[in-house]
Amino acid sequence: MSQTVVFPGSAVSPHEDQAAPETRIRSYWQSVGYRLRHDKATVFFGTMVLLIVLSAVLAPWLAPFDPYKESIIGRLKPMGWRGHLLGTDELGRDMLSRLLYGGRVSLLMGIVPVIFATCAGGALGVIAGFMGGKVNTGIMRTMDVFYAFPSVLLAVAISGAMGGGMSNGMLALTLVFIPPMCRVAETATTQVRALDFIEAARATGAGTMTIVRHHVLGNVLGPVFIYASSLVSVSILLASGLSFLGLGVRPPTADWGLMLSTLRQSIYVVPVVCALPGVAIFITSICFNLVSDGLRQAMDVRM
Amino acid sequence: MSKRTRTRAAGAVLLGAGLVLGATGAKAQGTLVVGMTAGDLPIVTGNPDQGFEGYRFVGYSLYDTLILWDLSQGQTAAELRPGLATEWAADPKDPKRWIFKLRPGVKFHDGCPFTADDVVWNMNRSTNDKAPEFDPNQFAQARAYLTNFASAEKIDDLTVAITTKTVDSLFQFNMSYVMMISQCRAREVRYNWVDYAARPSGTGPYRFDRATAHQRMELLPNKEYWDTRRIPKQDRLVLVPMPEASTRTAALLSGQVNWIEAPSPDAVARLKSSGMTVVTNAYPHNWTYQLNFAKGPFTDKRVRQAANHALNRADMKEMLNGLMLEGFATATPSTPYYGKPRIYGYDPAKAKALLKAAGCVPCKVTFAISTSGSGQMQPLPMNELVKSNLEEVGFQVTLKTMDWNALLDITRAGVEKFPEISGINVSRSGQDPFNALVRHVWSAAAAPKGANWGHYSNPEMDGLIAAAMAEFDPAKRLVLLTKIHELMSEEAALIFVAHDLNPRAMSPKVKGFVQAQSWFQDLTPVTVAP
Repeated sequence: MSQTVVFPGSAVSPHEDQAAPETRIRSYWQSVGYRLRHDKATVFFGTMVLLIVLSAVLAPWLAPFDPYKESIIGRLKPMGWRGHLLGTDELGRDMLSRLLYGGRVSLLMGIVPVIFATCAGGALGVIAGFMGGKVNTGIMRTMDVFYAFPSVLLAVAISGAMGGGMSNGMLALTLVFIPPMCRVAETATTQVRALDFIEAARATGAGTMTIVRHHVLGNVLGPVFIYASSLVSVSILLASGLSFLGLGVRPPTADWGLMLSTLRQSIYVVPVVCALPGVAIFITSICFNLVSDGLRQAMDVRM
Repeated sequence: MSKRTRTRAAGAVLLGAGLVLGATGAKAQGTLVVGMTAGDLPIVTGNPDQGFEGYRFVGYSLYDTLILWDLSQGQTAAELRPGLATEWAADPKDPKRWIFKLRPGVKFHDGCPFTADDVVWNMNRSTNDKAPEFDPNQFAQARAYLTNFASAEKIDDLTVAITTKTVDSLFQFNMSYVMMISQCRAREVRYNWVDYAARPSGTGPYRFDRATAHQRMELLPNKEYWDTRRIPKQDRLVLVPMPEASTRTAALLSGQVNWIEAPSPDAVARLKSSGMTVVTNAYPHNWTYQLNFAKGPFTDKRVRQAANHALNRADMKEMLNGLMLEGFATATPSTPYYGKPRIYGYDPAKAKALLKAAGCVPCKVTFAISTSGSGQMQPLPMNELVKSNLEEVGFQVTLKTMDWNALLDITRAGVEKFPEISGINVSRSGQDPFNALVRHVWSAAAAPKGANWGHYSNPEMDGLIAAAMAEFDPAKRLVLLTKIHELMSEEAALIFVAHDLNPRAMSPKVKGFVQAQSWFQDLTPVTVAP
């Protein structure tokens, strides 16, 4: 992947580019930024993601009520009841406040495991891809063992074995995401390793670490980053699933999956209110998915 | 559309119509379809799994026990009645030896007669690992009821002597849980219990027809049943496992089933508005916390009393739409040995004072709880409310949530393996004095040997228990059991919270059901109108 590209929207060809020095040459990241700015769908969903993140971060200031203060008299009330904009849950707690606080947990469970898995899986993938041979076989076949299990099953099994709780849930999700992340990084590294400029770097006497740092990582980072961004929505869904099954956060923590689980028994009383945590999970995961899709398109120079 | 496609479509339509007509026809003949809370079909090789629901729908349908429960009325708590044994008593010369007179003329579904040999064979099957009929699975299922069983001996064809390890006047209650299966059928399948499960044979009011693994089991009336009053009045009994409460509700509303166990309290209004019948009754159920008496804050009686005073049980009852009795003691007030226990009313000020006197502020406790489970009612919101109530008076509560089976593992292992846990929230049945009272507070029943999870130990309590177990006069034993019950309250041996009201909902077409005050129910009088 070259570090500078001709902006594909330009009316001039590379040959004309040489003939017309006034054509703007953008760096790769400038080009990505340009594409993103002009992708209206990604901008819209990116703004949504930003708003969701901000609402979670600012939950203590935005929440109109204490999310843990219950009132049995005021349980399962519809939207708009006595200032409760989104109604109340099975213990009479304000739904809006719990959804705002729940966003913190869901986003944390969505992002943190992906970051850890990207670091660990990416590092293992680069080592396997660059070293090749027995090291590659050792790492990748080990990953294949984990890869053989469906992600949901693996997450449930690990969480079940270690017990519930947020930290165990995050650890379980991290372990689930390491093998696919490793595979992406390994594939990208294997492709780069065979290219001429790596050989050239070797010929000039560059050390392994220098080649990895300057020539391999720069080319592997793109695909890894794109894949990681797509995993955030998966992680949010899996974390909600774990909480739904009682393997995630502990009650009474406000968490969308746990809220959905406890409210499903009351679906005949206030169906719309009971569906709200599910709506929150759906909107958040779809926003992250579409932003990831936009990022992939913007970062794919071949398009 | 090609000719072949048209033919297939027509076939599919005819098949669908046939299924619909078939289903309607089955209902018209009085098929009772039950949506159970169980996660799977209970096993049929004797004592069932899936908790007491397995006993309720499969165990006591296919099989009988020597002593049965009288489930014919719902006014008072169910009591023991003759089953395969017509009478029983401990030998006055040797109180460890119980003599059971067996019912003559009883036949298994396979036609073999029921005799004393069958009792000895069945007891061996669950206890004697040297016997060819020994079934490790049944050993595990029945062991809780046979801890005091020593041996069984045939006296004549219709008389059996069963000897206990220690004098135990409550042993008869345990014999009400041991199912008698057909040794003819077991021999026929050469003790292959998988083959036996495909063709089980008992003496019960229903005989096995067929089952689809994990999906449904179908039973037919045993027209030759020895108790002619209990020959089932419906044509077929279908059992469907449906662990999720919302699924059961939807299944009843859509007509997929015509009876569901334990609907969610919040779905009751919806069910009633659709014309469904919702029945409830008190029964010996206890939603409590068993406490850690080995280590931590609950070793101090004042802390235990504070926790009991902190609970606003009226709020919890309102949260459950009234589908509970407020739990102020181990047994429900209608229990014969209830007595006059000390009542811990809602009194936050007193609770705070007790905690302060105990020097436990903030009083950090950890409860192990489950997300669902047999008899657990609505564990998450109920535990959240308990946590909130306790924290208002100075406790600091951590809820350790886990799967039902994981919680049962902790329960069986006992406090020594899990000293960091201050209490476990496991619902208990209290059908009989041993299970209601003794097992919680008897030092000899300390887990993992028994169900005294927190290793409660009190010489006064042990003395009362020993006296009750040695007392064969029912009136005198009742006095002792009442003292045990009152002492449990005085000691605040548990955190008393709620007694379930055993809600179940059924289609208006279902008639003739009488809800007994028991974990078990009699389905035989039920009819289903077309």
